[in-house]
Amino acid sequence: MDEKTRTAAGIAAGLQGLVYDDKRLAEIAAEVEILNDAVRKAAAARLTFDDEPAAFASVLAREAK
Amino acid sequence: MINDDPALRDLSDVADAIADGRLTSVQATEACLARIKIWQPRTNAFLRLYEEKALEQARAMDRELAAGKRRGPLHGVPMAHKDMYYRKGELSTGGSAIRHDWVAPVTATALQKLDAAGVVELGFLNMAEFAAGPTGHNVHHGHCRNPWDSSRVTGGSSSGSGASVAARMVFGALGSDTGGSIRLPASACGVVGMKATYGRVSRAGAVARSWSLDHVGPLTRTVRDNARMLGILAGHDPDDSTTSERPVPDYEALLDGGVSGLRIGLALPTDGPAALDAQVGSAVQAAADALGRLGAKVTAAKLPDFTALYRAAEVMVKCEAAAMHRPWMEKTPELYANQVRTRMEAGFFIPATQYIDALRLRAHFVKEFLALSMDRVDAVMLPAIPFPIPTIEETDTETKGGPAVLKMVAGFTGLTRPFNTLGLPALSVPCGFDSNGAPIGLQLVGRPFDEALLYRIGHAYQGATRHHRKAPV
Repeated sequence: MDEKTRTAAGIAAGLQGLVYDDKRLAEIAAEVEILNDAVRKAAAARLTFDDEPAAFASVLAREAK
Repeated sequence: MINDDPALRDLSDVADAIADGRLTSVQATEACLARIKIWQPRTNAFLRLYEEKALEQARAMDRELAAGKRRGPLHGVPMAHKDMYYRKGELSTGGSAIRHDWVAPVTATALQKLDAAGVVELGFLNMAEFAAGPTGHNVHHGHCRNPWDSSRVTGGSSSGSGASVAARMVFGALGSDTGGSIRLPASACGVVGMKATYGRVSRAGAVARSWSLDHVGPLTRTVRDNARMLGILAGHDPDDSTTSERPVPDYEALLDGGVSGLRIGLALPTDGPAALDAQVGSAVQAAADALGRLGAKVTAAKLPDFTALYRAAEVMVKCEAAAMHRPWMEKTPELYANQVRTRMEAGFFIPATQYIDALRLRAHFVKEFLALSMDRVDAVMLPAIPFPIPTIEETDTETKGGPAVLKMVAGFTGLTRPFNTLGLPALSVPCGFDSNGAPIGLQLVGRPFDEALLYRIGHAYQGATRHHRKAPV
């Protein structure tokens, strides 16, 4: 079991109370890594302290024709 | 009285014929029921058909009209809806086994609005389990089948909505769209589907897939019909705090503006989450050429990196779906299709900070898209589904695993899901047929709340072409 899969196993058993076999944990770890990386990179290039989720609706309203 | 089969006529045409006495609601309903008898065995579009109840409702509508009362612009028009819109006191399965006997405690706002407009309800339609799946497969209720070729998928998750409207079983249907679930079945079945701006239509009383990405909207055979339905559905709703208080335009009255002078950016993306097939690209290019002949100025559109938009949406949908499904995933995991359950599991492992950052990124993504892709154009045009419609068998992830199958299924939403992240309006319009005889759809994307412009372009295109007039036989 690699480091990422061990981490997933710890989250499943220790934090979420969920049971998965090692194969499934490895698949989940790989999937989460791709998603996390994509968001982390996009966030690093864009987000500042003052950004908040509700800005989305404000932008839609402000940018409407 | 009109002489031809009323079921083959457009929604707005039938509504107007009922209003001025050339057709009765009972005749329209009987015509739909006759079509359903022929097409239901071939498509499995309906989960529940309310034959007697619909006829009783139609008779009541005719009596009301005879007494001088017209409820609204869809008085007496038969429809059916994706089985995720709650009607108080009635079954609502969400396409699942878990809710096979669940009775809804409220009526969805969308249904209340259609009720007030005079719609007759024929029943509820097949869909992907809990709106989670882009193909139309459903292991619990049977796969929905494409009326153009029953071996092929309908697109999903609003599979029954696309199939029933295309096969002329109903004049219009509600769908919902979290990653393409209105536009994909519209494209695959050859009908029109609108995912309006996030906040334009209330989600109250509809099964959620992802609160942040879900959009409620109509599927119809023509753009005019779609405009009429959205005009009824759109507007602020106190039961959905994310709805906008912006006034709702008269979409139907704005249809005839033409496209002369409009600037349309054409995008035929060859990289990103989904590779574009040549014949799909040719059909969309031909549609752009047709709009050019009508006076639109068509230029090449620049698109942002869709991968980032796609992944951000995946983070949102997985986290939100995992949270809402957790009790069932823990107690009765065996009641889910494997592919539905496993697609949510990563949501338990994504850090909350990543989920919140995905939400925080959306405003930036919108501003970047408008600056890069829409700065010099009024609308962007691109394909809805980037490849020809595959068969049910070759996309059956429940029985066929493997990276190739999973990649193909994921590819369905490659060009649609980014616009759920952005929350921008996107209209799918039929624009041709592939070499297998299955429909191809184009997608028009506009600025926030600019649905009227997308309808105007789509209507002009349908006025110059006949793709939407072909019916499956």
